[in-house]
Amino acid sequence: MAVFALPPFPDLSIGPDMDLQLALIFLQQGIASGLVSGSVYALLALAIVVIFKTSDVPNFAQGEVFMAAGYVALYLFVFQKMPIWVVLPATLVVAFLAMALFRRFVLDQVAKSAKDLVYLVIATLGLSYVLKGLVRRTGFGDTPRSFPALVPTDSIMIGQASVTMLDLAIFGTAVTVMAAFFWMFNYTKTGRAMRAVGMNPKAAQLVGVDLRRCHMLIWGLSGVISAIAALLISPKILMTADMGSIVMLAFAAAIVGGFSSLPGAVVGGFVIGIVENMVGLFISSRAIVLAPFLAILIVLVLRPQGLFGGKLTIKKV
Amino acid sequence: MAGESAAAFLNVEGLTIRFGGLTAVGGLDMAVAKGSIHALIGPNGAGKSTTFNCISRFYTPSAGRITYDGRDITRMPAREMAGLGIARSFQNLELFGELTVFENVLIGAHVHAGRSWRDAISARPRGIVEHVDELLERTGLTSYAQTKARNLDFGHQKMVEIARALAIRPKLLLLDEPAAGLRNREIAALDRLLCELRERDGLTILLVEHVMQLVMSISDRITVLSFGTKIAEGTAAEVRAHPAVIEAYLGREAAQEAAHG
Amino acid sequence: MSSPPLASSAPVRRALSGPALIGLVAAVVVTVALPVFTSGYVVYIANLLLVFVVLCLGLHIVIGETGQFSMAHAAFYGIGIYASALANRAVDLPYPVAMLFGALVAGAVGLVIGALALRMRDIYLALATFAFGEAMQWVFANWDSVTNGPNGLRISPARFGPIEILSDKQAYPFVLFFCLVMIGLTVAISRSRLGRSFRAVRESEVAAMAMGIDVRRARIVSFGLSAAIAGFAGGMFGLFQTFIHPDSLGFQTTILVLTMVVVGGLGSIAGAIGGAIVFGLISEVLRQAPQYQEIIYGAILILFMMYAPRGLFAFIGDRIREARHGR
Repeated sequence: MAVFALPPFPDLSIGPDMDLQLALIFLQQGIASGLVSGSVYALLALAIVVIFKTSDVPNFAQGEVFMAAGYVALYLFVFQKMPIWVVLPATLVVAFLAMALFRRFVLDQVAKSAKDLVYLVIATLGLSYVLKGLVRRTGFGDTPRSFPALVPTDSIMIGQASVTMLDLAIFGTAVTVMAAFFWMFNYTKTGRAMRAVGMNPKAAQLVGVDLRRCHMLIWGLSGVISAIAALLISPKILMTADMGSIVMLAFAAAIVGGFSSLPGAVVGGFVIGIVENMVGLFISSRAIVLAPFLAILIVLVLRPQGLFGGKLTIKKV
Repeated sequence: MAGESAAAFLNVEGLTIRFGGLTAVGGLDMAVAKGSIHALIGPNGAGKSTTFNCISRFYTPSAGRITYDGRDITRMPAREMAGLGIARSFQNLELFGELTVFENVLIGAHVHAGRSWRDAISARPRGIVEHVDELLERTGLTSYAQTKARNLDFGHQKMVEIARALAIRPKLLLLDEPAAGLRNREIAALDRLLCELRERDGLTILLVEHVMQLVMSISDRITVLSFGTKIAEGTAAEVRAHPAVIEAYLGREAAQEAAHG
Repeated sequence: MSSPPLASSAPVRRALSGPALIGLVAAVVVTVALPVFTSGYVVYIANLLLVFVVLCLGLHIVIGETGQFSMAHAAFYGIGIYASALANRAVDLPYPVAMLFGALVAGAVGLVIGALALRMRDIYLALATFAFGEAMQWVFANWDSVTNGPNGLRISPARFGPIEILSDKQAYPFVLFFCLVMIGLTVAISRSRLGRSFRAVRESEVAAMAMGIDVRRARIVSFGLSAAIAGFAGGMFGLFQTFIHPDSLGFQTTILVLTMVVVGGLGSIAGAIGGAIVFGLISEVLRQAPQYQEIIYGAILILFMMYAPRGLFAFIGDRIREARHGR
């Protein structure tokens, strides 16, 4: 799961005798790698939170949407030999449609017959199984593959941290996408409608927002963001049908950020990315897997509303 | 004043509640006599419900003291109220919607159902089931005993709230707008029930209410709040004639008219 | 007029009427006669289903009765498996003692989780318990000195005095017995004052408080009981299994149990039991078609949530009623 956290000095024994110089190098490397992986977690966390804010559903299929989008791109590019300028938009369109249609035809129906959260959650879990099953069915996932890198993977040094051009491209693209999303969400008419739906769906409907269309758009966009995350990360990892489990780091990021705050999700993504790499460098690579779950537990126990969430409200009687 | 406090069953002294910078209730004194029906009225936003929620311990006052039956309850947790014999209803209905009416009322007897090990594990603890049946009878809910509370109409739901509160076997019954939303026939039934509870069961009742028809007919004493302070107190007739009350409800002009006319 | 008896267990009563009664009788006959005329494999599946019934009862206590969203039941189950297996190996006592030990350890952990989760609701509770479940799976896989880590742990045969259980058929009567005991216990809890306080908390915490119910204690106790029952299911697993691997104690298992409870019908004991059996059989059949397993499994979840969210049995009941009324 710890896809980025390949410790650069895997054979060094790290103990109490680790000298300061080495610790400083580790620190810089941890932050640099953390910002790169964190930018992808931040994208996924954003995709999760924008849905939660507007639909009150934690989408447990987000990781599988991400995984499936990666395989769509792989299929089109490697197996169909399509040019990259077709593959990229095609992947995003597929992700958009899949999520929008799931919202429209599945969740609308579930929400109609059941109000309780557990039913919606199980429906998204169902989607995660279907997507995983579909990808396995195609057989592409049988052998781990990587998406060919479109940017050179030569290393460069920033300070004492080693990063690749690909890393910089990932970070840059992720930040650009997030900035574009925030602009859309805060300054366009569509974004205003989405925010209104998040605050009060009934009132939004009264002032003329088409709820159904708005929800489809949000889910579709969330799919697009997940697909971008997949396209960014897939050259760096071995793709398998289980790669969606990376979404746990995004959930951890979202929780650190308060689960309903979009800027919180982004900050949370970077925090989790850096923490994950630090754990890998300073503690052990075996503990990396545990890190996000501990982060979730600790944050929720100490501050159930997240680091960026508002105050807990007391129910009026 | 001191004598009155001593005789009072429920006594509120200097009750002040602030939310942030806003003072919802400021220095309220109120004494409820044992075995009486006492109404707390006032225009919207007067602080009635806030006071009510303080007495039932759902809110904690910023200052002041609440004593009940000679005991200071100002800082006690809400869940201990039932054990002391203080029961409450909720303005916006807080029923156990998916449970039957019978079970709703049975849960009201929670504090009595654990007297013995056998009672605690029984689905129908002895002595309590009979009491629940009696309460259903008195509140006219017998035929709905096995209906889910959520499927009842509003009037019956309000009755379930009261029946459930009575299952606590309270000495003090706090009712938050019991008549709101009821039809005339239902208000009349409520009127009869509350009077019967006072006369036959010797219950002390404090109610917050907007429906004047009910308040004026049953209350032994009425406290009028406006903007968080007490503006009048007395019997129905006294309060009705009080200029400050008329002004608070109908505006200054009406008050002057009443005074001159 | 006084209320009919069993007022607080209306769901059970409803499930025992008409065609359901015939089904129940048939189920009892099949259950009792099973080891006589079937193969070891079928008995193994039956044992497993009975364990899942108990797991579902555990989850029912916390989610069905108290309305708290737990996604950690595979962890409590795993704690029960490891604790009872280790206890069984460490001391030479009859196996039920080890089972009780497993239930107690799981229950104690459940109490702690319940206490930590007090301030959380809904999605936050779901995510926290989920994270706890994943963390526990990591512990199972990495605490080598106790659990033997990723190699899995061998479970020594259960013994009841002189009897040593070496086969699924031998284990079956014991598994069935303990399952029935747990059903009885769950029904008793549900009908008791404690069960009523759980449901009161589920329906309205403020009203429960006004009725003198200690809401915090009810939530913690329900978590503890629920975890203890899941831990007991872990002990039952050790009756007929010889090996446990951490891989089988992850999110998949939690989702399987959650699905069983929801497919059966959230909030009813009969639903939890029926859901465990029906969905347990479905997922066992799906194992025969591994390529389609996940797709079909996911599709079933989605379709159920879309068209039968109140559960399989409520769905069938509604259809029968509609057919009777001629529409």
